[in-house]
Amino acid sequence: MKILALVLCLALFGMAPAQKVLAADSAATDDERAARWKTIAESVFGDRKIEPTETLIKLDAPQRAQDAALMPVTLIMPEKDKIKSVYLVIDDNPSPLAAHVTFGPAADPGLLQLRVRVDTYTNMHAVAETGDGRLFGTVVFVKASGGCSAPVASTDEEATKGMGEMRMKFTEGAAPGKPMQATLMIRHPNFNGMQMNQLTRNYTPPRYVDKLSVSYGDSKIFDLDADISLSANPVITFSFVPNGKGPVKVVASDTMNGRWEQSFDMPATTN
Amino acid sequence: MHALIETAAKAAIILGTALVAAVANAGSAADVNEPHGLWIGAMHAQTPKVLSGAVVVDLAAIEALMPEKPLLLDVGPAARKPEDFPSDRPWLPIHRSIPNAIWMPGAGAAPLDARREELFYRRIEELTHGDKTTPIVVFCRPECWGGWNAGKRLVTKGYTSVRWFPAGTDGWQDKRETTEVKPDTEWIAEPTR
Repeated sequence: MKILALVLCLALFGMAPAQKVLAADSAATDDERAARWKTIAESVFGDRKIEPTETLIKLDAPQRAQDAALMPVTLIMPEKDKIKSVYLVIDDNPSPLAAHVTFGPAADPGLLQLRVRVDTYTNMHAVAETGDGRLFGTVVFVKASGGCSAPVASTDEEATKGMGEMRMKFTEGAAPGKPMQATLMIRHPNFNGMQMNQLTRNYTPPRYVDKLSVSYGDSKIFDLDADISLSANPVITFSFVPNGKGPVKVVASDTMNGRWEQSFDMPATTN
Repeated sequence: MHALIETAAKAAIILGTALVAAVANAGSAADVNEPHGLWIGAMHAQTPKVLSGAVVVDLAAIEALMPEKPLLLDVGPAARKPEDFPSDRPWLPIHRSIPNAIWMPGAGAAPLDARREELFYRRIEELTHGDKTTPIVVFCRPECWGGWNAGKRLVTKGYTSVRWFPAGTDGWQDKRETTEVKPDTEWIAEPTR
């Protein structure tokens, strides 16, 4: 079914050129999308005000996804020392809050990259929470659809093979006290309950990674609260400051009481 | 020996063709034939290019039809809330469609419970005021047999102006504005299964 998804995506997204669209064109749709965001914001943030920002958080996503089940999204926080946590909201996904990442003392909160599922053409919001508790938001419009029901693999068995296995890739040139990037890959189907088993025609029961905790030695890098909008086989790129002894430790858990733990040694430091 | 090789080659070609056909039904780029009746296989797969008794339309054709006030019938699936979804997380499904569409999620499923099928026909009859010549545009998402099946049901029931829009909501939203639509209240008044 990977082929099917590919064919589908090529058919859908292969033709038109990418274009910069910040919001939909017509006023009526804009109003509707604004009202939608208001509903979501109230649900997630209560009556806390979200101030628009051009500088505290930036959201980088392809305007048109190659694969709506695997859309790479990058959050950039240039004034990283002010950032306490970030939220990623995919407005028109049935579960709009895709991820909430809280940074710890070992984090370098300037960058975070995730891969997400996108159900329909939608606004996507990134909200940064600063250390003083204020919220700042930014928005982009993305053209992708069908990511939530796209099959994970040709069979459920194949999709769940090696579940919980992790890999970590560090950028080269590690030095003590100098921020470095790492990319964590976890094998997990992240079934969202909307994928149909093409053979039995039953929906595959939901099972997805909902918590992820990454630390360096005894010091927290980040905690991630996630849900069904995260792509199958989650890939997360983050940045941290390796001070003192490692290793980088990852604890992941899912909604079926799966729990996986793995430690990764840093590559040798260069001085 | 030569003949044997030839036979083997022919057999391989036949086998290969059969495989291609099988793959086609599983969703490759090859053409898919119309089933005799409703399609009861996987709903999310490549569909035929045609629907006998109906006209296959693109975006331009739908827009040309708009002055005739067609019934825009969306049978796209509704979002399914995962069991045990945390109660403190927002669950806010939204369905975007062609403005003024009537949304009957799952109306293209097959087999469909007899009562549901009856309800489907009754709703269409109401929405078309009993006029079987009313233009009806049926659609779903792309690669969705539900749209094809719903069109097939209407053709079989004697509707004479059925249009099938295979590009569906995606084909529409790529060029035009969508609006949020709620499921047809009578359609969802009775449980889906």
